Amino acid sequence: MNRLLALLKREWKTGQKDYSTYGLVIVLLLFAFETMQSLVARYAGSSFPMEVYSEMFPGFLLLGGFITTSLLFSEDMFSKDAQHTWLMLPATNLEKFVSKALISTLVYPIAVTLLFFLASVITEPIQLLIFGSPIGLFNPFKDNELGSLLAQYWVWNSVFLLGATFFRKAHFVKTVLAVGVVFLGLGALALLFTRIVFAIKFGSSLQMFDSFMYFDSRYLQDSLTALKVFSGITKVFYYAVLPVFCLVTAYFRVEEVQATDAV
Amino acid sequence: MASQEVSVSSEYGIEGDVVVRMTDISFAYQSKKLFSNLDLEIRRGNIYGLLGKNGAGKTTLLKLLSGQLFVQGGSVEVFAQNPQKRTPSLLQEIFYLPEEFPLPKMKATEYLAMLSPFYPRFDHTMFGVYCKDFDVDLNQRLDQMSLGQKKKVLLSFGLASNTALLILDEPTNGLDIPSKRQFRQTVASAMTENRTFIISTHQVRDMENLIDPIIILHDGSVIFNDTVASVSDKYVLNLTTSEPSKEHALYTEKVLGGWMVLSERGEGSEGQPLDLETLFNVVIQTSKGTMGGVR
Repeated sequence: MNRLLALLKREWKTGQKDYSTYGLVIVLLLFAFETMQSLVARYAGSSFPMEVYSEMFPGFLLLGGFITTSLLFSEDMFSKDAQHTWLMLPATNLEKFVSKALISTLVYPIAVTLLFFLASVITEPIQLLIFGSPIGLFNPFKDNELGSLLAQYWVWNSVFLLGATFFRKAHFVKTVLAVGVVFLGLGALALLFTRIVFAIKFGSSLQMFDSFMYFDSRYLQDSLTALKVFSGITKVFYYAVLPVFCLVTAYFRVEEVQATDAV
Repeated sequence: MASQEVSVSSEYGIEGDVVVRMTDISFAYQSKKLFSNLDLEIRRGNIYGLLGKNGAGKTTLLKLLSGQLFVQGGSVEVFAQNPQKRTPSLLQEIFYLPEEFPLPKMKATEYLAMLSPFYPRFDHTMFGVYCKDFDVDLNQRLDQMSLGQKKKVLLSFGLASNTALLILDEPTNGLDIPSKRQFRQTVASAMTENRTFIISTHQVRDMENLIDPIIILHDGSVIFNDTVASVSDKYVLNLTTSEPSKEHALYTEKVLGGWMVLSERGEGSEGQPLDLETLFNVVIQTSKGTMGGVR
């Protein structure tokens, strides 16, 4: 436990400057966007901005988070100059992996959410004083969007974490490309599956009539039940199996790199 | 083999005083074979000097025994453990100072607070003492320090970590003249019977009177692993003004004002103390089978 805390502290200390710069950029961007929109509203007579924070939050949470996650292992695991420190650090591979995974999975989303709230607390009174714009603090719980965003972040962050451990360079771009290739492959498989399973329907001249059949109330209920089961299975796979698979695979990748020599 | 015998059972879980045991190891970088059938034993309580020509594999050997590189044949044991497993219990007993290294953008004090918790016997007071001895400003940022200053910080950290094995790769490279002297004094003062230093160096004059025993790597194997005293017991070094005969000289070298001659020690024969540079040249030349050596 002490070692894990020491590793978390190390993660923060080594990235402190970058994280601080990133946080400052977020605050400044939010302030600039809010000011621009308030200016337009004040002098063009349009309504004052109320959604700046919630509009920008998903971008910084997801895109910013994935880029940050992609860079987590680049120095320690793949830089020939720096990897000696990581290799010789007295901690287990699991501890080393968990410390980075915690930073990206837990600490980052909490930090960004708090930062957005703090940015709104600083920005809004200034906007009120200068432009008379009404106070509209960032509320992450509004419309229950935070839970959905965090769920998406949890899933895709694990994919980017796997990419960060798997690729030696250009982690983010390569992960995006790899995900694209996987989707193309899955799409092609789905097409093939559909074509085979519904071969008779495709070949039938009565396709239209077949499809009308499903709207019949007798069949519709059966189809909806089947769809609900399918949807449930898909959700379990998407929100639980996929991220856990990616995290476990990423850990084994760290093990693999640690278990081979660094050259 | 090494001189000091420490018979007490080690607190690090090893029997006897063998710290490192490499048996029949082989290693190659892709097609370039570096070591084959290399054997090496390093004993506790010594400051070993690892010498060898450029490209002899000194750094590679240090990385192999610290578990950063993996042997392709044979076995390596450090404190009776396999370093390739990099277990925390072993890693907290090894401090490795590489020849070149990047340090994070932070002050030395922050670096200390960040990494010292990983070493259970870290001595913060001694770290301050070592840094003071080396004249290092702890409030200066590490990335703004020269290579020599960075080395002093890392060296102070390594000594204060109280690890049982310290591996120093070219530690005096980048150090100024007073710091080299300070280095020798500090290492000597930090030496205890439970610690072992392995110092790889080309700067043998910087290490004179510090490193002993000496390990010499040549052509993929350890050709010498012994104390300077053991060589001095058998051989004698003399300075002559006339050219020595090839039959009696084991090694000769033309120096200012005559020849330096190494020959077998006879009854009551006295000579000059054997310096490391001469020892190295003798061992290398002898291994080539060219007795008589450099002229």
